[in-house]
Amino acid sequence: MARALELRPGRIRPAGRRTDTAMAYALAGGALAVVALFTIYPVGYALVGSLYTLSPILPRSFAGLSNYGLIFGSPYFGFALRTTAVLALATVPAVVLLGLLVAVLLSRPFRGATLVKVVILLPWTIPAATGGVMWKGVFADAWGALNATLYELGLVHNYVAWLTTPRLAILATTIAQVWAQFPLAAVLLLAAMQAIPGELYEAAALDGAGGLRAFAAVTLPHIQPMLVVVTLFEILVALTAFDLIFALTGGGPGTATTVLSYFIWAESFKMLSFGTGLALAAIIAGLSFVLIAALMRLMPREALVGEGR
Amino acid sequence: MRRPVWERIVFPGAVAAVMLFALAPFLWVILSGFLPEVAILTVPPEWLKYGVILDNYRYIVTGEVPRAYQVGGVLRRMISEEVRAVPRAALNSTLVALGTLLLNWILGAPAAYAYARMRFAGRVATFYFITASRLIPAAALAIPYYLIIKQLGLLDHHLALILIHTALTLPFTVLILVLYFRTIPAEIEESAQLDGATRPMILRRIVLPLALPSLVGTGLFAFMLSYSEFLFSMLVLGSPQTRTLPVTLASVSTNPDVTWTLLSAGTTLAVLPALLLVWPIWRYMVRGLVTGAV
Repeated sequence: MARALELRPGRIRPAGRRTDTAMAYALAGGALAVVALFTIYPVGYALVGSLYTLSPILPRSFAGLSNYGLIFGSPYFGFALRTTAVLALATVPAVVLLGLLVAVLLSRPFRGATLVKVVILLPWTIPAATGGVMWKGVFADAWGALNATLYELGLVHNYVAWLTTPRLAILATTIAQVWAQFPLAAVLLLAAMQAIPGELYEAAALDGAGGLRAFAAVTLPHIQPMLVVVTLFEILVALTAFDLIFALTGGGPGTATTVLSYFIWAESFKMLSFGTGLALAAIIAGLSFVLIAALMRLMPREALVGEGR
Repeated sequence: MRRPVWERIVFPGAVAAVMLFALAPFLWVILSGFLPEVAILTVPPEWLKYGVILDNYRYIVTGEVPRAYQVGGVLRRMISEEVRAVPRAALNSTLVALGTLLLNWILGAPAAYAYARMRFAGRVATFYFITASRLIPAAALAIPYYLIIKQLGLLDHHLALILIHTALTLPFTVLILVLYFRTIPAEIEESAQLDGATRPMILRRIVLPLALPSLVGTGLFAFMLSYSEFLFSMLVLGSPQTRTLPVTLASVSTNPDVTWTLLSAGTTLAVLPALLLVWPIWRYMVRGLVTGAV
């Protein structure tokens, strides 16, 4: 994957003839146009729009920074920010660790390994909103499979209100989110592990390092770039999570699982105040960029670029 | 060979636990789709006491109300037509996802070829632009997307969704195809060029046939993303006839008149394509990534 960052073109026909540039844009133009239409214009629109009072039911007027003021002054922003942070802090490490564990389990050949890999991929292949619905069936207070199972096993004597108790609803959301995300982490980390030359493990074994020590000395350093990529990606996912939570809890009970994306949604399409929604979107985008830039600064450069293969 | 404890017990145990975690919600949904509602509402539940029934599926397909609803007592007697929209929604999702897949190939393959093989002004900048475009959080784009689609007059049209999903998947498609195209030996193309073949001809006759696995992989990826996408689908599709699966399911699941058993039958129908596609996805896309073929 490290090669993704290397952009030298393959051989064939040395350096720029003008016809080449025209032809290249003829070939790449369609893709560029679609991406540009849905990137440059929306971002510009969001930044400008966040300075206006924008609503389908009100006349448009310039509002300066008052949308931003409104958000920072709203107690709901604080709640949503906290909930998002809690969910991110719970899910990201869990996804990365579980993904790592599964990748380690699957990195050695065993009978039925392919079947296990395909089965584990399943949560990732279905829509996140559908995943939310499915987990609702597991956690539902009155008829969920979890309550029924715990009751049958004699572990609880009264059904637990998983989805209507704020703390438990956050726990349920975290579990469902981890379920939806760990397959991708596992597959990407597995890919990185399989790229490690076998000789390195043989050499480690000759030095008397097996099991955990080989993992620490050989595996970890080699999958570090991928660990970074997976972690950054999962942070982005956690900060913008929406579908699954929408279907599982609808942001409730109360505001217990109202994350920032859900707040944007409610502000824009329930309150119909687009300007505030855009300002909120700009804040979230800024937040993600700052967080990711900070993390990338913290990482040693080699971790990002990799050593190549 | 001596087999340590962890290999005999811990390892299979851990694998089984992970599989159970991945599969449990699926198993529960599939099972409850075949149960009458009363079976899950008693405390303690007696899931299998009332036998396995097909009423829920029959209702979705034919509209015949399940027998359980015609009995009084503790049973709920309201039922919603909404769940019957699920097969239609699955069809809508499939059409949109196929459109996205095709557009990804049509736009992505030529672009990837240009980035993989040609030298031109603005090459690096535009490539970074395409790949970095996905770093913008989707929720931040919701309102502008809605307004663009409205201005194009495409609200409630599937084409709108195809365009949006293509914009979301193209960066990944282009990136993967560039990596793959560059593994194809350049000599073949060079000799074709000496024979007077143009770039589009080389792309169509030589590169695309050789890159078939990566085309299948990226195509499936685009298909799955489009099939699953929820936020923008909810935004641009208003009417029940055009809605895609994630939107319909989310709406059905919050409808108090739809029982869990009925919803489960609908959900089972909804995840069926994913269950069927997971093998080819593994075969053509993930395995390629995992074995380092990319």
